[in-house]
Amino acid sequence: MSPLTKSRRPERPSWEEPPTLIGQLIKGTVLSAVVLAVLIPMWSVLVTSVSSKKAIADAGGMVFMPRDFDISAYVLIFTRGEVSGAVWRSMLVTLAGTALSLGCTVLAAYGLSRPGSLWHRPLLLFFLITFLVGPGLIPSYLLVTSLGLKDSHWALILPAAVNAFNLVVVRQFFMGIPAELLDSARIDGAGEWAILGRIVLPLSKAVVAVVGLFYAVGYWNMYFNAVLYLNNADDHVAQQVLQAYILAGQSPAGIGSPPALGFSAPPSLAVKMAVVVVVLIPIVIVYPFIQRHFTKGVIAGAIKG
Amino acid sequence: MSSTKVAGPVQARPSPVPPAPEAPPKRNRSSFAARWRRDRVLLLMTAPAALLLLVFHYIPTLGNIVAFKDYDQWSGSTAVEAIVNSPWIGFTNFAELFEDSQFWDALRNTLAITTFQLVFFFPLPIALAILLNSVVSRRLRSFIQTVVYLPHFFSWVLVVTFFVQMLGGAGLLAQTLRDNGVQPWDVMTDPDTFIVLVSTESLWKDVGWGTIVFLAALTAIDQSLYEAAASDGANRWRRLWHVTLPGLRPVVILLLILQLGNSLSVGFEQFILQRDAVGRQAAEVLDTYVYYLGLVTQDYGVGAAAGLFKAAIGLVLILIANKLAHRFGEQGVFVKS
Amino acid sequence: MDHPLPGTANRRSFLTLVGLGAVAAASGGALAGCTEKAADTGTAAEVDKLTAVLPKFKPLDLVQPDIKGISPVANGFTKYPANLVDAITDKPGRGSTITTMTPYWGTVPAGPGQNAYVDAINAELGAVVTPGIQDGNTYADKLNTIMGARDIPDVLCIPSWEIPKIPNFSEAAKALFEDLTDHLSGDKALPYAMLANLPTVAWSNAVWNQRLMGVPWPTDGPYPWALFYRKDLTDAIGASVPKTADELYAFGKAVTNADKGVWAFNDIQAMVEMIFRVPGAKEGWRSKDGKVTFKLETEEFKAALEFLVKVFKDGLVHPEIIATKGADAKLLFNGGKIVMVQDGVGAWLGVQAEQQKVTPGFNMQPVPFFAADGGKPLVHGSGDPIFYTFIKKGLGKDKTEEILRVLNFLAAPLGTKEFELIEYGVEGKHFAKGADGWPAGNDLLGKEKADQFRFLAGTAPTIKFDARVPTYVNDLINWENASVQHIEVDPWRGIKLEMPASYVKVKQPTEDKIKDIIRGRRPLSDLDVVLKEWRDGGGEDGRAFMAKALSDAGR
Repeated sequence: MSPLTKSRRPERPSWEEPPTLIGQLIKGTVLSAVVLAVLIPMWSVLVTSVSSKKAIADAGGMVFMPRDFDISAYVLIFTRGEVSGAVWRSMLVTLAGTALSLGCTVLAAYGLSRPGSLWHRPLLLFFLITFLVGPGLIPSYLLVTSLGLKDSHWALILPAAVNAFNLVVVRQFFMGIPAELLDSARIDGAGEWAILGRIVLPLSKAVVAVVGLFYAVGYWNMYFNAVLYLNNADDHVAQQVLQAYILAGQSPAGIGSPPALGFSAPPSLAVKMAVVVVVLIPIVIVYPFIQRHFTKGVIAGAIKG
Repeated sequence: MSSTKVAGPVQARPSPVPPAPEAPPKRNRSSFAARWRRDRVLLLMTAPAALLLLVFHYIPTLGNIVAFKDYDQWSGSTAVEAIVNSPWIGFTNFAELFEDSQFWDALRNTLAITTFQLVFFFPLPIALAILLNSVVSRRLRSFIQTVVYLPHFFSWVLVVTFFVQMLGGAGLLAQTLRDNGVQPWDVMTDPDTFIVLVSTESLWKDVGWGTIVFLAALTAIDQSLYEAAASDGANRWRRLWHVTLPGLRPVVILLLILQLGNSLSVGFEQFILQRDAVGRQAAEVLDTYVYYLGLVTQDYGVGAAAGLFKAAIGLVLILIANKLAHRFGEQGVFVKS
Repeated sequence: MDHPLPGTANRRSFLTLVGLGAVAAASGGALAGCTEKAADTGTAAEVDKLTAVLPKFKPLDLVQPDIKGISPVANGFTKYPANLVDAITDKPGRGSTITTMTPYWGTVPAGPGQNAYVDAINAELGAVVTPGIQDGNTYADKLNTIMGARDIPDVLCIPSWEIPKIPNFSEAAKALFEDLTDHLSGDKALPYAMLANLPTVAWSNAVWNQRLMGVPWPTDGPYPWALFYRKDLTDAIGASVPKTADELYAFGKAVTNADKGVWAFNDIQAMVEMIFRVPGAKEGWRSKDGKVTFKLETEEFKAALEFLVKVFKDGLVHPEIIATKGADAKLLFNGGKIVMVQDGVGAWLGVQAEQQKVTPGFNMQPVPFFAADGGKPLVHGSGDPIFYTFIKKGLGKDKTEEILRVLNFLAAPLGTKEFELIEYGVEGKHFAKGADGWPAGNDLLGKEKADQFRFLAGTAPTIKFDARVPTYVNDLINWENASVQHIEVDPWRGIKLEMPASYVKVKQPTEDKIKDIIRGRRPLSDLDVVLKEWRDGGGEDGRAFMAKALSDAGR
């Protein structure tokens, strides 16, 4: 669907009756409430991240009213070189990982989308079981290190590359594509690859985008596997470096600590909140691109065309 | 289900191809070579994902056999040797769980929370997705969608902190009440309403995230069906009932079934954080129980046993739910064959 | 509605993922509760007969402290020594590459070749130490994984609070770590002069299976907890520092003002127990007149419990602290929302130094230890080490000795060139001496140093002057010294206990029940029920075990 047709499409379909006032009111109220319930805390995260220590101490925690503007938390995070390098590495991991994950997931979902195909049920069960039972830490570590992946970013990607949940969801969407479309393609002599590439995928942009988002978010947020496998500061990814700002100067409290574990200053709440903001930024940027694929009526258009 | 008239495309539908290739299993088996020839491309497509999981999931999952062993991880000179050397003890580790009354307490809490959330909160992301979908302005819709999905990325510490700062004894609500001379009720420390509290927290955190799949599913509904329904005189509620919901049904049922498979995992950190506030009686769930048990007995065997127990229950629930779905004419996860 | 995602963390790693770290900190209370491991019947390593394996103590009096701590209190130094001693003239290393792993709570700097601080020290060492610095909050998970997989570095630092989280540690030590007894016992330690300068009480804790298995990192402060109060605030309202339990309660009543958002306390359970003279040794065991009792069974505990119930019921504890373990007591204290806080002694310097810049007049002071009735206090405390350093098994005699010489170098005390290098880096590059004579680190030091060497070996206990809070050294050591005489005598001191499984198992449920009483969810009278359940559930096994450990030790 070209941008041209998109923009020409009327905002409200002609067959839809005009909205009632009361309906609009209720809808508006509910949505405003939902949005406010998120925006108010979000606002306080943002305000706290740019508040001075004094403002935070006075508030005794999260700050709601901006006062004493102070961007030193961001300065701290971005003036030391680690963050940019780590963000860059995280982006590469996320891109490579998402590409691999989507490729494998889409192929397998299509491969399993034909009921009655050979070994279809046992294979599905094979995938589903991974959703239920997982490996322990030590066996996974043994496997990854014995494959020589320690200190390699592949250690973050390969073990997480295929997620059964995502696979089953994609498969469900594939199965919803009208059979007539696939059949007519088959009659025209198209093979499975062609059907997947030319018919199924173009009709499934939304779910592919969604699952891509799920994978990307997983890679972007990956922390513990990075802690396990990436030992050199040069290899650290964004979550590792940003977590470190949160931990900075923190002693393992709860354990009565001797002076030696007092370290320097505990990190200010502003830094913690700045980290929350920094982690959210790419997520906020990416989501609208995903939403672009939430276009109504792809299938109807396809059938008619 | 007579859904032929206004059926959405993402819906249970009769076999994609005429009955001939969908022949009864007996004949299928006899023509293995034919099926192989027909389906080998599909198998090839499935292979990369299957291989990745086989290597990175199934091989290390073998380590779970320590559930049936008296595992001493320091015996032998390598980790694998330690597993092999440890003696088999059958179901002793499982028995240790089942004989502990606290295990059953935790299981009861977990099931209560899971049921509560399924009944009251599972439908809400669907409702929100439908509501969002009805917003006409694309820009406004995109804005709201982005906003509501953000809390998913907050840590639990932050989420609980927000709730405390709003509803807790020193929070905005309480201070406002105090200013007006009312003694506030501290919802954050009331064990009786804890199930509502944790569910609301989960809802706040994940309702927006939960809408994403449904938003995608909504796009897959054939728009001409709406037009046809409208010209048949169906108003917006009837269209919701006869077009939108049937269109969403397969995905809803799929997610419901998968959710059931996960029903013994209701969260961990959220409960650890608030455990002292409401006490073990209210806040102990299976995962926290296993965590504390592991911490004191330091036995990977019992932990692995608990994991396998959860998986077994999850599998049984998935299979039952799938059966039920078939009975109601739905696809579920597996398709009847 | 919680969609599982790729890379969803293993549950075991939950503490790592909390995002704000505070939980890891706060739940440490519960975790730290379990300092023994379960063995089916329990074993007790007994130290009295084992002094033979310990290094001979040979004090090095290079610099006289400006204020002397009464052992186990550290010595204080307010003046930086004018002339530094070059304590180690031979290069300890033989050019080997030595991999290490240490915890750190902050940003990880680059390794050798890209880190002038590391390179300068390696040059002095004559070895290529390659630091592996790990996130301190996920350290236990990482440790359990690499130890379980038998994939450990040459030198491994393990914090004392992580040791109980490693299953069957004494067996693990046997399987993975080099036995240092033949290198360091008795006079054999003398060539390692800096290590021989470490206190014996620290060494005696480094014994597993009756062998010396590691190098201890001596504590520089014996008391785990203190009550700190905001002197600037209490002076302003004329509240005086409590000296009895009644005064503590009255203090709480006087300073709590919910309408203004001010509460008196955070969770002060550990300190209240101490104030009521509840036994604290080995988590609450006492041996008196040949009878071994656990704290829950004592009248003292009952009184402490009554007090705590009152404190919580009357709303003297900040509601945020009650509602979530993620609450940040330090932050609330800094903002004056909590007036008196129970915290580790280690919090003092950092909080005071930073917050005084923000809140003019901010003054954080420890409450001198007192007893409920105003009499002689009972103070919980010990000389147990903070970290242990282990050497990988099977590196061979030469490399093991090389590593020991490196550790010896790192353990050089204040007043040596070695100490200055480890602590402050290279003069002119990493630090400059201030007007007070003390080295002051610059940004480069902050960027390159992550205690990657310091955490491998501690020095003889030392409290250093800090220009930000010039009175700190004197205040701390005077306050600590005042209570040394009241430190509870631990009848099981030096004995490594691996408690019976049944006892360990009943602990967490019992703590939960006690919490239910404190928070008012169960009546105080339920203590008897809880006690009975504890006894039947494994408490008696614990008692029998503790009694046997004592009699085996001939005490």
